Amino acid sequence: MTFLITCPNCGPREALEFSFGGETTRRASPSATDRELAAALYFRRNVNGWQTEWWVHQSGCRAWFLAERHTTTNEIRRTYRPQDRPRDEEQEAAPA
Amino acid sequence: MSERLPARQGEAIRRDRRIRFRLERRTIAAFEGDTVGSALAAAGVTITGRSFKYHRPRGLSCMTGSCPNCLMQIDGIPNVRACTEPAREGMRVERQNAWPSADRDIHGWLNTFSFMMPPGFYYKIFQHPHWAWPLVEPYIRSKAGLGRVPQEPDHRRRRRINLHPDVLVIGAGAAGLAATAEAAKAGASVVLLDQGREAGGHLLGEASSTLRSALAREALGSRARFLAETAAFGVFGGGLIGASGPDALYRIRAQHVIFATGAVEGSAVFPGNDLPGVMLSSAVHLLLHRYGVLPGRRAVVLTGDNVGYSTAWALKDAGAEVTVVDLRSDGGWPEGFPVFAGATILSAHGRRRVSAVSVGTVGATSGQKVSCDLVVNACVQTPSTNLLAQAGARLVFDETLQAFLPDEMPDRMWAVGAVAGARSPEASVAQGRLAGLEAAAGSGHPVDAASIAALRSEAARSGDPIVLPPEASAASGKQFACVCMDVTAKELTTAAAEGFDSMELLKRYTTITMGPCQGKACMASSQRLCGAITGRSFAETSPTTSRPPWVPVEMGTLAGARLTPRKETTMHDRHVAAGAEFMWAGDWRRPHHYTTPEAEVAAVRNRVGLIDVSTLGTFRIKGPESVELLERLYPNRFSDLAVGRVRYGVMLNDEGVILDDGAVVRLADDEFFVTVTTGNTAALERWITWWNADWGLDALILNVTGAYGAVNLAGPRARDVMTSLTDADVSGSAMPYMTATRMAVADVPSLVLRIGFVGETGYEIHFPSAYGEHLWDAVMGAGRSHGIVAFGLEAQRILRLEKQHILVGQDTDAESDPYEAGLGWMVKDDKEDFLGLRSLRDLKERGPLERLVGFTAPERWLPPEGASVVREGAWVGRVTSARRSEAVGGVVGLAWVPAEWAADGSTFEIQFGGSHTIGTVRIDPFYDPRGERLRS
Repeated sequence: MTFLITCPNCGPREALEFSFGGETTRRASPSATDRELAAALYFRRNVNGWQTEWWVHQSGCRAWFLAERHTTTNEIRRTYRPQDRPRDEEQEAAPA
Repeated sequence: MSERLPARQGEAIRRDRRIRFRLERRTIAAFEGDTVGSALAAAGVTITGRSFKYHRPRGLSCMTGSCPNCLMQIDGIPNVRACTEPAREGMRVERQNAWPSADRDIHGWLNTFSFMMPPGFYYKIFQHPHWAWPLVEPYIRSKAGLGRVPQEPDHRRRRRINLHPDVLVIGAGAAGLAATAEAAKAGASVVLLDQGREAGGHLLGEASSTLRSALAREALGSRARFLAETAAFGVFGGGLIGASGPDALYRIRAQHVIFATGAVEGSAVFPGNDLPGVMLSSAVHLLLHRYGVLPGRRAVVLTGDNVGYSTAWALKDAGAEVTVVDLRSDGGWPEGFPVFAGATILSAHGRRRVSAVSVGTVGATSGQKVSCDLVVNACVQTPSTNLLAQAGARLVFDETLQAFLPDEMPDRMWAVGAVAGARSPEASVAQGRLAGLEAAAGSGHPVDAASIAALRSEAARSGDPIVLPPEASAASGKQFACVCMDVTAKELTTAAAEGFDSMELLKRYTTITMGPCQGKACMASSQRLCGAITGRSFAETSPTTSRPPWVPVEMGTLAGARLTPRKETTMHDRHVAAGAEFMWAGDWRRPHHYTTPEAEVAAVRNRVGLIDVSTLGTFRIKGPESVELLERLYPNRFSDLAVGRVRYGVMLNDEGVILDDGAVVRLADDEFFVTVTTGNTAALERWITWWNADWGLDALILNVTGAYGAVNLAGPRARDVMTSLTDADVSGSAMPYMTATRMAVADVPSLVLRIGFVGETGYEIHFPSAYGEHLWDAVMGAGRSHGIVAFGLEAQRILRLEKQHILVGQDTDAESDPYEAGLGWMVKDDKEDFLGLRSLRDLKERGPLERLVGFTAPERWLPPEGASVVREGAWVGRVTSARRSEAVGGVVGLAWVPAEWAADGSTFEIQFGGSHTIGTVRIDPFYDPRGERLRS
């Protein structure tokens, strides 16, 4: 856990300054089935590879942002503010 | 041997500055600039310690901090490398692992009984009978090991420093200095590290200091930053390089890294190769040229190439009588010495210092005896590739140099100098300059392409093939492959025969290369022995996996400063003055009580009390969509909350589990003031801002905890006190329960909430925290005539429990939903959506399995928090809070019980340890069940 993360507000900083928010997920809708609810609450893709995930710059600007990180190498190829999310990513479906 | 050689240019010592230090009971005279090791050598101290296992005498060997022979306890710190530790006036030096002294260690008998300690002996011997091992083990443990761990706390201040240069150069020898000079000249920011006090590396031991001075001037006169006595110890994920310097841990992230880590010498393996007086050529050069010490008068130099002859010359120039043992038989060596050609040292003799060697052809069991007091190993050079390997470089065996050298380097990394196979200072300098230019170019600084091309040809590896000494000697006697852990060639043979026949297995079984030197002194010889024993060539073996730390690092350096965050409210000094007993509440210091909790409770119930609640988490949430944000965050409804009104809210996660609770105040159409639990503030800030980021709502969340101070004024006379503090109308009709008003309190602009956690008429005053002491004094002053008291957390806990007000995290856990916790009335499940809605539908349909209920119990026994609720001997629930209550008479508490027991008046059994009691469910608050006092 010693890699650098580029905060969209503050620039590159030590990973220790950040808190991890996990891979992006989609909430179950109020009309979700039991299976959809369980999937949204308890199941994650847990990919071995590139993953879009949440980080918050806890010891800095305290803003949440998204990062594309490789889960094996910890390489981060892109970070961006949530308002810069592409439309389709926002609508990303949770796994069944 | 207390005489020093004549002074010379470039020496490290200042002969005009004398210092003294203690070696056990002796006083040692030294010069400023001496290391402990050089001073001891000058004073004729040959034994610097006793070995790890057999308590054999050991003496100075490398003078570069690369071997375990001179580890000493210095000023109480164990395992200090005396050969590189600067000598200081008055320091206390003790030799380790010896009693009564290293010179006459009574445990030397272990050496004689070594046959009882074969590899892995602690697995094999003394295990049967079983009862014997516990008796034997402490003795073995006390005899092994190095130094004594200091018992006193370490109060040195350690820093942690982050650096991020364009170029990091590790090692300030010829190659490192040249690389630094070029990269810095081209405009790159450069950090140069070296574990030595002075730059120069191997050049420090050269008779002439001309090249060293020129390179040092060029490199250190530039804008480069040189960190002396700072050793890189590991390469970590993401290219982070850790280095330890004087009382500092450096964490370095460089765009480019140039490894100029040099080479470490190793010893040939022959019986007696660990005797004091058997040294590496690096030590001889440094002692002669830096410290003016002649390490022996009759020297035998073992070498396999012409480099060894420079050592022979240096010794001869200093007045020693020198014999050379040359492993080569084909001639071509310089004149000037008696030479044994095609020969090796078969064994060294002597008890406390070497007195003679037997010289003969490889494979012979006996040879010609040559008397001597110094044996110099100038025959094995091991490139220090450990950091390279950690960085991901590929190592390949080089037949000419008989060593593993870096082949493919990772991107933006270079290996230069001896670590890359350079055998002359000129080749090292050329390689260094080339890497320096390439790194500077990589960081975007213009460099001359022609000079890069010219350097490429100069930097190529060259030189005659090296002849290494035999893997081991055929002569009898203990020959050490690993001096750190006292592992002999014979033990390796035994271990291999038992099936541990690769380097990684041998390492784990015999502990070879695992000692303080981390394989620096012994990796090559161990590998070659392993190969010889198992019928493989040197090239077919491989070094063990390299892991940090490559050099010893003090635990304190890694631990850094010990920081305990501690927060105090702006009224803290008033609490101290009032004699408060403090307790931790998260990072905060809060008064537990001032007098007694019971007296404070009585005062609040009968008169009026004041508590500092500044630690409550507070947020201001503003923006056109702040209502929408709260509607989604809470199961409560806020769209219908009027400006100036307060509503109690509970926050859930999407599983429907209670996260937190607190007050929500509507300050304006588009602005809210929210309070959360003290210990939960940081987590709740993350929670709220996360959802707002995900939902993209137009609302700004500001954590104002600490910016606002707050006090809660509560009790039947609270309104009287309040009236005298403000011009605002604080009457029950103008300012009823669950409203909030901005007003000046004691002239301080404040937000006052009519809420009552403790169940009495209450005013929670939030104000700019800088006014803390003023406001505290003003309220206490105004309340004096009403009998006001300050009350602490314990009194507040009793008071709130009498009202059955829950504490999230105390009375709830990670499975508590609002229906079971008795907060179902808040859930507006007709709202379109909020966190937890979908899960709550299921929970509501299923109905509660457990209930959080209030209970009363007899006075005589107070069940602790966590006491069991039992049915027919089985655990069915637990007590979360319990206190003795004077107002109610007896014990009051909250407990989770099976839902079918939740009816008012049901009884249940509570147990803890050997005690038990009967609880009676009480649905309504114990005190003021209809809340008349609270609302009044």
